[in-house]
Amino acid sequence: MSLRRRSKDAVLDLTPIMNLVTILIPFLIMAAEFVQLAVIDSTLPAIGPPSAPEEEPDKPPLSLSLAITEMGVTVLGADAVLFPDGAPEMEEGDARPPTIPCNSGSVCKGVNDYDWDKLALKLGEIKDEYPDDENVILVPANNIRYEIIVKTMDTSRDDKSSGTLRTLFPYVVIAGGAM
Amino acid sequence: MAKSGRRPEAATDLNINSMMDMMTIILVFLLKSYATSDISVKPNESLQLPTSTSLKDPELAVNLVASKTVLVVDGVPVLNLTKVPDEENPGKTIIAVPEDELRGQVVTQLYDHLLEKAEAAKTLGEQTGSADFEFKGEILMQIDSDMPFSVVRQVMYTAGQAQFGKFRFIVYKGEG
Repeated sequence: MSLRRRSKDAVLDLTPIMNLVTILIPFLIMAAEFVQLAVIDSTLPAIGPPSAPEEEPDKPPLSLSLAITEMGVTVLGADAVLFPDGAPEMEEGDARPPTIPCNSGSVCKGVNDYDWDKLALKLGEIKDEYPDDENVILVPANNIRYEIIVKTMDTSRDDKSSGTLRTLFPYVVIAGGAM
Repeated sequence: MAKSGRRPEAATDLNINSMMDMMTIILVFLLKSYATSDISVKPNESLQLPTSTSLKDPELAVNLVASKTVLVVDGVPVLNLTKVPDEENPGKTIIAVPEDELRGQVVTQLYDHLLEKAEAAKTLGEQTGSADFEFKGEILMQIDSDMPFSVVRQVMYTAGQAQFGKFRFIVYKGEG
């Protein structure tokens, strides 16, 4: 007579693990961060960061401003870099045309219609001439959307087009209406 | 003669292997996404923050939210915004502060709230004498992407008049 051995199958009780997981998951869902936040610092025009060290006497000081309108972005205060042969003559009362016009050639239709790559290129040229300057003043028009102002701040802060991160003008001041 | 046989036992064991697999993967994903932050953003259709390449983390300060419809300071609604015809784009409307709430470029109700916050923060700093509670004039700004600069300027000017000179614009981290 042979004894039939009972096979003992160990049954794993998953109930406590299920309890733990069922309680943890709602808690973690409530605490999950699916979108990360960041900040962009700025100050009032009268309370700006320290000015750059003294430049060579034969180089005009930089007072970089970016006027943002619906026609594009106008770079001001850096004519020595942008127009080495002299700024184009303008009739009195005429507004300077935008340095970086919209991609569409007329009124910019949204944030992607501004030529941000060209703006970064121009700012890079200015930074090459004035490596110690880190201030930029933004002068948006009244109807410019906040999203475009943020994009301008991003473009003037640093440049990644060359593959490495290069700091341009990280200290931003937002001034009043466009000139 | 009827066959008598044992009824096969009904299957009573619930196979929860699949559920455990799913729960484990979800748990690992949520543990990775777990984060605690002092700053909370409640996105809705009237507040869509822009995306930026900035990498700085926000710190706690007075929180001003400017959505399409309302200005909120530290969770307290201060002023309802309105829509007016856009003079530069006929047929379209633009967000604006009601005229009767403006005194020049100062938004009066917002100014009163912010000044109260500034005075309270200064008093707290003086009473504690601690550098951690010193009033630094910092204000967090959560502004909707479509907000026109005219309103942004008025809000910033008002905050500046109320002794908040350091603006920290809250944005979503992204490629911009």
